[in-house]
Amino acid sequence: MLCQICKKNEATIILTRIVNGEKREIHICENCAKLFFSNELTVLSLPQFNLNNLLIGLLNAIDLYGQEEEAIAVKELKCQNCKLTYDEFRKSGKLGCSECYQYFREKLIPLFKKLHGNTQHRGKVPHQAEGKLNKIKKVEYLKKELQDAVSKEKYEKAAQIRDRILKIKGDPRQEDAK
Amino acid sequence: MQNNDKETLLQNLIKSTAKWTNGQGPLSDVVVSSRIRLARNIENIPFPARACQAELKNVFELIQKVIAKNPIFNDTNLILLNNLSPLENQFLVEKNLISSYFAREKYPYRAFIYNKEETLSIMVNEEDHIRIQSLNSGLQLNKIWKFINKIDDEIEKKVTYAFNEKEGYLTSCPTNVGTGMRASVMLHLPALVIVNRVKELLKAISKIGYVVRGFYGEGSEAMGDLFQISNQVTLGISEEETIDNLEKVSRNIIDQEQKARKKLALGTKSELEDRIWRAYGLLSSARIISSMEAMELLSKLRFGVELEIISNFNLSKLNKLILLIQPAYLRMLYGEELDAFKRDLQRATLIRNEVSR
Repeated sequence: MLCQICKKNEATIILTRIVNGEKREIHICENCAKLFFSNELTVLSLPQFNLNNLLIGLLNAIDLYGQEEEAIAVKELKCQNCKLTYDEFRKSGKLGCSECYQYFREKLIPLFKKLHGNTQHRGKVPHQAEGKLNKIKKVEYLKKELQDAVSKEKYEKAAQIRDRILKIKGDPRQEDAK
Repeated sequence: MQNNDKETLLQNLIKSTAKWTNGQGPLSDVVVSSRIRLARNIENIPFPARACQAELKNVFELIQKVIAKNPIFNDTNLILLNNLSPLENQFLVEKNLISSYFAREKYPYRAFIYNKEETLSIMVNEEDHIRIQSLNSGLQLNKIWKFINKIDDEIEKKVTYAFNEKEGYLTSCPTNVGTGMRASVMLHLPALVIVNRVKELLKAISKIGYVVRGFYGEGSEAMGDLFQISNQVTLGISEEETIDNLEKVSRNIIDQEQKARKKLALGTKSELEDRIWRAYGLLSSARIISSMEAMELLSKLRFGVELEIISNFNLSKLNKLILLIQPAYLRMLYGEELDAFKRDLQRATLIRNEVSR
């Protein structure tokens, strides 16, 4: 039988592989076997989801540079919501819940810089969040105005601004006042 | 949403052809398909890998409700993955409807929703709660984005996504955080492979923030001269920019491939024609053929169609054939008991019938 890869030389080696839990055999010659194994090795070192592996590599690299005390602190780092430890995250590259982003923030920022070259989201904002974000921004703006009014002793204006803030926040007192 | 049992749905999927296979999209002579997927999670529920059964069920039921009531999902079907055999799972992977990660995972309440044209697939309880994916023919990332953005808006009307102002859409893996968007194009680059330019080109691309993969994902470069290119960065760049950049990179590669094709056609026309017709000859007469060899030969046949050397075959037929000859698809078609050798026989028969028709 001719080699199934080059179809030139006589096949002298039967290669058995388990792919997706299924046994597969191919008949190949010595030359191709050498090539095949060197390829196989590169395939193995280039695993399926290279992004995740890149990530795990980065995670370990970042921590290598850390101080010893820091390393101990890292060991105790844990998400208080889903109980995922930072150590577990470092091994799997997967976070457990959205709160992990808060609890591990300090560690994640250098990672974001390496992975994305950036730490601030740009792009789509869900419509529901849009309302919320605008509210927060508006309240912040009004709070500054309020401080300004108080410092200038314009108390009547300050009271109006306070009412506007309460209204945006949906404060029940504001409803009663109507 | 339509109601059908799993057997009927699978039988229909075996017979159906996805819209992306039609070979009609822009620049189809180089770009096989474009794809975008969005990763989304629901607020206050742990990501699937850390969610308990009740939480996974909750996610599933929330999405089920979204799909059931919205007319935009009228022509969709839902299949629960937990009821499927490993073979059926693998078949769906080969059909590009689900990810191989999704097929391998074991947790309950994993489901996927797909439309009639198979341009849309929504995976529920994958690595993230929701993965929306759209696939279409040729280079048309903008059109796909418009479509998938609308689907995302519709889902968001009923569920609150995990999102914050700083990191954007929060995902299980930090490689997806921000837009949660992965856009990709599948390119057929036979001329760049022949002139030995493809390696350095792809290396250069991977240095500027793009991920290059073979047809099967695992650095399988030789497989049918097909290369998938996708964006790596998801944080700090908008969806439109991501698409725009990927499109520019793709156009650059397409341009180089087309130049290489012209050069080959001018300099070595007879050799090129010989290569293509030999492949045609093998495909139309072989009795035993492995999927690896078939992919290689079909790539040459595709090249012949793209160069208009072969006229009695078209891209649509080729795209369909590439799917049909995959191991799980063959077993779905001709019986689960088909071992590797019998598959090679069956594959050769199938190809022979199609090619010499």
